[in-house]
Amino acid sequence: MKTLPGIARCSAWNRRSTLVWVVVSLALATALLWTLERLRHDIRSSFSQSVSGVDLIVGARSSPVQLMLFSVFHIGSVPQGMSMDSVRLLAQHRSVSWVVPLSLGDSHRGFPVLGTTPAFFQHFKYGDKQALVLRQGAVFADTLDGLYEAVIGAEVARKMGYTLGQSITLSHGLHDHDPADASHDDHADKPFKVVGILAPTGTPVDRTVHVSLQALEALHLDWVAGTPLPGGQIPADQARKFKLEPEEVTAALVGLKTRAAVFNVQRFVNFHEAEALMGVMPGVALGELWSVLGVGENALLAVSGLVALVSVVSLMAVVLAGLNERRRELAVLRAVGAGPRHVLGLLTLEGVWVTCAGVLLGVLLAQAGMALATPWLQQALGIRLHMAAPLPTQLALAVAVLLAGLLASLAPAWRAYRLSLADGLSPRV
Amino acid sequence: MIDIEPLRFAWTPGGADTLALGRLHVAHGQTVFLHGPSGCGKSTLLGLLAGVLLPNQGRVCLLGQDWAALKPGQRDAFRADHVGVIFQQFNLLPYLSVLDNVTLPCRFSSVRRERCQAAGGPEAVAQNWLQRMGLPQALWMRRADALSVGQQQRVAAARALMGQPELILADEPTSALDAALRQDFMGWLLQAARDAGSTLVCVSHDEQQAARFDVQWSLPALQQAGVNA
Repeated sequence: MKTLPGIARCSAWNRRSTLVWVVVSLALATALLWTLERLRHDIRSSFSQSVSGVDLIVGARSSPVQLMLFSVFHIGSVPQGMSMDSVRLLAQHRSVSWVVPLSLGDSHRGFPVLGTTPAFFQHFKYGDKQALVLRQGAVFADTLDGLYEAVIGAEVARKMGYTLGQSITLSHGLHDHDPADASHDDHADKPFKVVGILAPTGTPVDRTVHVSLQALEALHLDWVAGTPLPGGQIPADQARKFKLEPEEVTAALVGLKTRAAVFNVQRFVNFHEAEALMGVMPGVALGELWSVLGVGENALLAVSGLVALVSVVSLMAVVLAGLNERRRELAVLRAVGAGPRHVLGLLTLEGVWVTCAGVLLGVLLAQAGMALATPWLQQALGIRLHMAAPLPTQLALAVAVLLAGLLASLAPAWRAYRLSLADGLSPRV
Repeated sequence: MIDIEPLRFAWTPGGADTLALGRLHVAHGQTVFLHGPSGCGKSTLLGLLAGVLLPNQGRVCLLGQDWAALKPGQRDAFRADHVGVIFQQFNLLPYLSVLDNVTLPCRFSSVRRERCQAAGGPEAVAQNWLQRMGLPQALWMRRADALSVGQQQRVAAARALMGQPELILADEPTSALDAALRQDFMGWLLQAARDAGSTLVCVSHDEQQAARFDVQWSLPALQQAGVNA
C-alpha cells in the first residue's frame, strides 16, 4: 500500500522531464548565490590576509586606498614618492620599532619588482602574523656584493620555471605584458641573479621580484626622467663605484613598539613639515576599499537574488501550468477518498523535494565549479578559495532560496486545493 | 440506504433547476440502473449521492446521514469510508502499479482499511478482487497506463470494491468499451457488488444491460415526478 509521500514521489517521477528543469533552474540560481558569496568573502579575506603586523603605511599624500593598493598589492600607482630623509626621521621616532622602505616602478615579465631592504623579509607579515619563509636560498645581501641579487616569490618561480642562480633582467615601468616577451627588458645591461625563492603565501608577495633599493638605484644611474641617458651607459660593475643610496622611495612600512602609539605616529607623519606625507592604517584603508567595492558587491548580490527570484517564479509557473494536466490525477485521488488536505500535502511535498533537490544540486555544482576554478583563480588573481566549511552567509542564502521555493510551491498547492474542492468528483476539463 | 427527500438542485444560485426529484429510496444491496439522455443531470445526481454536490432544497441521506449536515472535511471522510466510485475513463493513477491503484482507498479510509485487514490485508483483498474482475495476474504489477481501457475499467471496479463500501457509484463505466466487453464487465461488476453486499448505482446509456439490475431509474421520468410533486 502506497503512502502519501510514496504517491507524491511516483507522481513527481512520472513528470520528471518537466521537473528536472525546475530543479536545474533552482540549482543554477543557488550555485550563483553560493559562489558569489564565497568569492566575495574570499576576495576580502585574501585582501586582508595580505598584510599583517604593519601598523602604518607611509607615503606621499594621496588617497589612503591608493597608497595601500600600490604599496601592498602593486595595483595602480601613486603620484609621488617620499624622501629618504623622511624615512630616516620616521625611524628615529621613539614609538617606531622598524621602518621598511619600498620602491616600486620596475617589473620583470609582468611581475612587479619591489626594491626594499633585507629587513622587509624580517618584518613583513601576512595572514595571521605569519612571517615570510625562504623555500630555497637566502635573502639578498645588504652589501655591494649582493647588489644584483633578487629574491623571487613562489608564483614567479613556478610560472617562469626559475631556480636558484637563474639570471633575470628587469624592465622599466610596470608592464603587464607577455611573460615570454623579453623585448621590454630595457634594464638588460644589468642582469640579476636569483638567490632566494620564497614559500607560497597566497598574497601579492608570491608575484613579486624583490631586490635591494641600491640595485634599483644602480639600474637608473644612467637614466634621466624615465629614459636612458643617450651615450652614457654605465656598465654593471662600474655602477658599484657610484653613490647608490636612494634619495626617494615610494612608501614605507612602519612597525610600532606598541599599537597604542599608532594615532600619535600617524599625527607625526601627517603634520611632517618637510613634505606632504600621510600615514595609513592598513585596516582602515581596507575598510575604505570595502565601502567602495561594497556597492558593486551589493549590485552583484542583488542581481543573483533576482535570478533566484526568477527561478522560484518559474517553479511556480511550471507547477501551476502542470496543474491543469494533473486535474484528472487529482480527481482520481479525490474519488478514492483523498481530501483537499491530502491534495495540498501532495503538492507541498513535491515542492519541498524539488526545492531541496535544486538547492542541494546547486551547492554541489558550486562546490565542484569552485574546486575546478581554484587553481586558475589562484594563478590569475591570487585569490585562494576556501572549500572546507560553508560560510554562515552562504548557508543563509541557501536557506533563503529553500524558503522562497517552498512559498512558491504553496501557491500551486493552494490552487490545486481550491480546484479539487470545486471539481468534486468529475473535473470539468 | 439511500434516502432522497424531494430536492431541487441548480448549478447557479437562482438559476434554472438542473434536477427536481421526488422522494426516492434505495434499499441496502440493491442495484440501480440510471439512464436518460445526455445532459439530463445523471452525473449531477451521482454528485448529489456522493455528497460532492448539495441540493438547494431537500435532502440526500446515505446510511441515514444527511450529507448537508456534515462539514466539508467530514463529508470527505464519510465518502472515503462508504462510497466507491468508477468513472467513465481515466480512473487510475498512471504512474502507480495496478495493485497500488487498487489499494489506494485503504490509504485514505481507515474504515475500509480495517475491513481489508480483517480479510487478510489490503494486498490480499486487492488481489482477490482483481481475480474476481478477471484481470490476469501478470498485469498486477504493471504500471496502470500499460493496460488497455477495458482492463483499466476492471481495475477501477476492483478498487471501488475495496473494503466493501456500502455504496458504489459508476458513471457510464462501460461507455469506453466495445459491446462484447460491456456484457462481461457489467456481469462482473454486478456479481462483485452483490458479493460485497454493496449498493450499486450505475449510470449507463446501454439499455440492454438494464434488465440485469434490481431497479431501473429513468431520470426524465423521475424529474417529471419531482416537478409534479
